[in-house]
Amino acid sequence: MTSQVPVRAESLNADLRRRLEEAEEVIRAIREGEIDALVVRNETLGEEIFTLEGGVESYRSFMEAMNIGAAAFDDATNLLYANNELATLVGISRDELDSSRLFAALGADGAASVKALIASPGLKPSGTEVKLAVAGAVRYLLVSAGQMMLGTSRGVAVTFTDISARIQAEKRRQAEQTALAILASAVEAVVVCDVAGTVTHANAAAFALASGDPISLSFNEAFALDFRGATGLMQGGDFLAVVADGQAIQGIEAVAPKSRSSKDVLVSASPLIVDGESSGTVVTLVDLSRRKAAEKQQLLLMGELDHRVKNTLALVVSISNRTASTEDTIDGFRKAFAGRIHALAATHNVLADRSWASILLSEVLAAELAPYVTDFGARLTIIGNDVEILPRAAIAFGLVVHELATNAVKYGSLSTDSGTVLVSIFPHDNHIEVVWKERGGPPVKPPTRKGFGDTVITRSLQYSPKGGASLSFEKDGILCVIKMPIEDVSIVDH
Amino acid sequence: MMDQMDNDTTGLPKKLTLYIAGQTPKSIAAIQNLERICAESLPGKYVIEVVDLRKSPQLAREHGIVAIPTLVRELPVPIRKIIGDLSNTEKVLVNLQVGEDE
Repeated sequence: MTSQVPVRAESLNADLRRRLEEAEEVIRAIREGEIDALVVRNETLGEEIFTLEGGVESYRSFMEAMNIGAAAFDDATNLLYANNELATLVGISRDELDSSRLFAALGADGAASVKALIASPGLKPSGTEVKLAVAGAVRYLLVSAGQMMLGTSRGVAVTFTDISARIQAEKRRQAEQTALAILASAVEAVVVCDVAGTVTHANAAAFALASGDPISLSFNEAFALDFRGATGLMQGGDFLAVVADGQAIQGIEAVAPKSRSSKDVLVSASPLIVDGESSGTVVTLVDLSRRKAAEKQQLLLMGELDHRVKNTLALVVSISNRTASTEDTIDGFRKAFAGRIHALAATHNVLADRSWASILLSEVLAAELAPYVTDFGARLTIIGNDVEILPRAAIAFGLVVHELATNAVKYGSLSTDSGTVLVSIFPHDNHIEVVWKERGGPPVKPPTRKGFGDTVITRSLQYSPKGGASLSFEKDGILCVIKMPIEDVSIVDH
Repeated sequence: MMDQMDNDTTGLPKKLTLYIAGQTPKSIAAIQNLERICAESLPGKYVIEVVDLRKSPQLAREHGIVAIPTLVRELPVPIRKIIGDLSNTEKVLVNLQVGEDE
């Protein structure tokens, strides 16, 4: 019995000491602000909890009422409280929203900049911009922070403002400016219409096709396109409705009658898709005038070629017949005929090089003399202004020069080493006179009979009353005076 | 709640009970601090049970809780109570290691 009393007393003392320590610890914790709630026992209601947060509850109500994201953090960036709006902004349910999930949602860069903001609140009044992806959409948040007291604790209030709409609007504005710049820079006419077919945008080339400002007019009013090749099914701006429904059209020819010279255009159109919906049409009108002109030129050339081939074949038959009638031997015929055909070919070549436009008289001379004369410059002198001659005259003149050249090589000035030919050009009112005079050759004897060469020379240019040629067998060298009809000649300016 | 069997000698993790009062700053700080201390310095030694007295105030009676937050370590004996937000890591470690090597 006696030994139990001190043991009991000792245990009682230990318990009292522990309770005292605990009570002191509670007082110290309250004094040092380490706790912010107390348990109070009420006889009737049992235990009740009282928090020491001061105005925190009203602060929370205020945060909830705000239509921007708001959160409170402690000094160590622990999330103390976040309002519903913030949970919605970051796409995390309110119950699950804690520090780690919030910072994970902000991404590595976003989390770092927000943590830096919390560490030094108020340093950046304008806040920091954070970009995050929520449910596949990019969202931009402007984050600002300021210091506050939460009862006994120091905290940081952070607001998250959704500026996605502002940034999207700015991006849209920039995109629109870029689109307008592209539109303005396009060489081809580009017209943008709304769903009703009213022109909303048009570039300078389109203004030219409408001969005025087409904006706010209906497409048909502005351009009145004539789809001649597209039967009666396509008229005016009918096609725009089809295009706006999603059916693009490409490369339909039309005439733009309102442009200054009624231009041929190639029309293409596609639906204008904005935010996944058709909001009108984009029409491009490519000027076909040049292509059409080229097609016309080609058709003309083909007709001309057909005509020429027929003429040439007739000429060849004539040359063949006449050569046969003037040559005594097969060999003589072969040489004379081949020479004349080559002469024809030489002029043809020069003309073909010029696309059957006019050629220089000197070029015809050079082409025809090339087979016979190596030192062209020393043996041939041209006096007077060179002239351009049209194909009809060029072929005839080529044949004449061929005959003169073959004769000169066989019997005249070009048969010797030092003989020369002087070609003088004299303009007259209704013809150009070209005088071929040989010098330094053997004495000339008039021929005993007239060959085809004479016929070619005298008749070739007689297709016009203003044209023709005469041949004189002067003793010191042949003289040939050729008249070229003025309508087939143009003077070259030097 | 874990059962009250003496698991001092079994080597199984021992229970720590943290009493908090909803989302007060000190409650949140205490949770964060305790999780950090256990993960960094006492891995595998304790399991944490958080008791929200705002939801179930009557649970304060079991350990005679007065101030919140309070951390209670029942085993090994003697029972230890650490009052406050557990921001003083050294103090927490000292209290939790009392009786560990006995």
